[in-house]
Amino acid sequence: MTARARWRSAAPRAEPRRAAAGDAAAQLFHVSKSYVAGTYALRDVSLEFRRGEFVFLTGPSGAGKTSLLRLVFAAERPSEGQIVVLGRNASRLSPRSVPELRRRIGVVFQDFKLLARRTVEENVALALDVVATPRRVARTRVFEMLKQVGLQHRRYQSPLSLSGGEQQRVAIARALINEPDILLADEPTGNLDPDLTIEIMDLIADTATRGTTVIVATHDQTILGRYRKRTVRLENGRVVEDRAAPGSAP
Amino acid sequence: MTALFARALYFARTSLRGIAATPGTAIVATATITVALVLVGAFGLVVLNMQALLARFGDAVQVTAFLADGLPEADRAALVQKVRAIDGVARAELISEAQALERFRGGVGQGFALVEGLGSNPLPASIEITLGSNYRTPADLSRVAAKAEHLPGVVDITSGADWVAGYVRALALVSGLAIGLGVIFVLATTLIVSNTIRLAVLSRRDELEILGLVGASRSFVNTPFLIEGLLQGAAAGALAWALLYALFRAGLPGFEAGLAFVLGGIEPRFFDLGESAWLWGGGAGLGLLGSAIAVAAEARH
Repeated sequence: MTARARWRSAAPRAEPRRAAAGDAAAQLFHVSKSYVAGTYALRDVSLEFRRGEFVFLTGPSGAGKTSLLRLVFAAERPSEGQIVVLGRNASRLSPRSVPELRRRIGVVFQDFKLLARRTVEENVALALDVVATPRRVARTRVFEMLKQVGLQHRRYQSPLSLSGGEQQRVAIARALINEPDILLADEPTGNLDPDLTIEIMDLIADTATRGTTVIVATHDQTILGRYRKRTVRLENGRVVEDRAAPGSAP
Repeated sequence: MTALFARALYFARTSLRGIAATPGTAIVATATITVALVLVGAFGLVVLNMQALLARFGDAVQVTAFLADGLPEADRAALVQKVRAIDGVARAELISEAQALERFRGGVGQGFALVEGLGSNPLPASIEITLGSNYRTPADLSRVAAKAEHLPGVVDITSGADWVAGYVRALALVSGLAIGLGVIFVLATTLIVSNTIRLAVLSRRDELEILGLVGASRSFVNTPFLIEGLLQGAAAGALAWALLYALFRAGLPGFEAGLAFVLGGIEPRFFDLGESAWLWGGGAGLGLLGSAIAVAAEARH
C-alpha cells in the first residue's frame, strides 16, 4: 500500500473546524510588504482562500510567494493592508496571540526543518508537546499519523537516516498532526526528484479533501500541470493571474 | 492535570536533553557558578566565625562600678537594685572585696605573692554591669556608665565603650566587605553565566525556530532554558558546598593553633543546614538569573 493510498484510506474528520469568517480561511486586503524602503516584496495584493480549497501560488523566484505565506502564518506583518486568517486580524495580532494562530496552521518547507537530534517520532510529537498532549495520547496519535504517511516503522530513527522524500513526509506529518485549518507548503518538493515529488504532492493534495485549506508555493510547472487547481500567479509582488481550478465555480 | 503533567514532563525532558546536547556550555556555566560560590562561601565562613567571636567579646563587655570602702551591705544591695533599674542593663552582680581578691589570685598565679606582701586586701568591691544584647553600643555603654557613676556609693567607673566602638566599626567593615564582594561576584557570575547559556540558546536556534512554527509560546520555548540554568546552578551550589567542606576539614588542622589564638577558644564552625541551603539556593538562583537574562537577550534579538 502506498503512502498515498494509506492517506486516502484514513478516516476524514467527522466535523471539520469551521473558519470563523464564513467560508474564508484567509483573506488579504490590499496587502503590501516592503523590507527595504522603496522596494516591495508584495504590492497591493487582495486574495481570498476558502476553506478546504487547494491553491497554488506560483511565479518566478522573488515574486513574493514566500512573503505571502509568511504573512499568512504571522511570521511577519504587512507594511500596508489587512490580513484576516481564521477570523483573526493577523496584521494586528499581539505577540502572545501569534502562537495560538499558528497552532491552527501547518507549515511545510523545502528544507524540511526537522531536528536531527530527535527521532522521527519526537519531531512529529513537537506539535503535540506545544499543546500539552499527554505522552501516551501523543504516541498513539504520532503512530497513526506516521502510518498515514507510511513511516511508522521509521519512528525511532533519526531524520538524517531517511531519504529526502521520507523527511518531507515526516515534516508533513508534523504539520498535520494537530489537524490544522490551513496547510502552507513553501516549495515542498524543491529538493526532491520527480517520483518523490508526485508522492509528496499527492499527500498534500489529499489534505484538502479533509477540509484543510492548502496553499502551496511552487514554480514547478510539472506540478501545476498535473494538479489542476486554482493557481495564483505572482510577479514582482503583484497578482498577475488568479486562475480558478478547471470545472470549479467562478 | 494530565496536561500539566505532560507539560512538566516535556520541560524536564527538554532541559536534560539540552544539557546533554551542549555539555561544554553546561560545564562552563556550572564551573563559573561553583567558583563564585566557593569564593563567596569562603568569605561567608570567615564572617560567620568572626561574628561568633565578636558576639563572645560582646558578652565580656561590661561596665564596672567601683564602690566606696566600708559601704554597708544594705546600701550595697540597694545600689545593685538601682543599677538593675537602669534601662538596658541585663545583669548587675555585686563583687565583694574578697571575691575580687579571689579572682585576682586566680588570674595572676605566682604574682599573687606581691599582694600577699601588702598585708590587707587592696581591691575594692564593685558591681559588674552587663548590658542586654541590643544595648551593646558605645552610646548605651556611655549612658549606663554615666548613670551608674552618679549613684551614691559609686566612686569610680570603667566601661568598654572605646573597645565597643572599635568592635562596631570592625563589624561594619567586615559586613560591608562581605556585601560588596557578594554583589561583585553575583554581577560577574551572572554576566558570565548568561553569556554561556546564550551560547546554548544560539546552538539550538533551529529548534527554537521549529517550535515557533508549530505554535509554541515564548514561555514554552524559554522554560527549558530556565530549568537548565536552575539545574546547573543547583549542581554548582552542591559542588561548592562539597568543596568548601573539604577545604574546611582539610585546612583546619594546619591552622588550628593560629585559629585558637585568633578566635580565643571558639571552635571554628562550618555552615549549618539553613546556611548550606542558602548556598545551594544561591547557586540555583544565579543559574536561573543567568538563564533569564540569556533568553531575554535572545528574545530581543
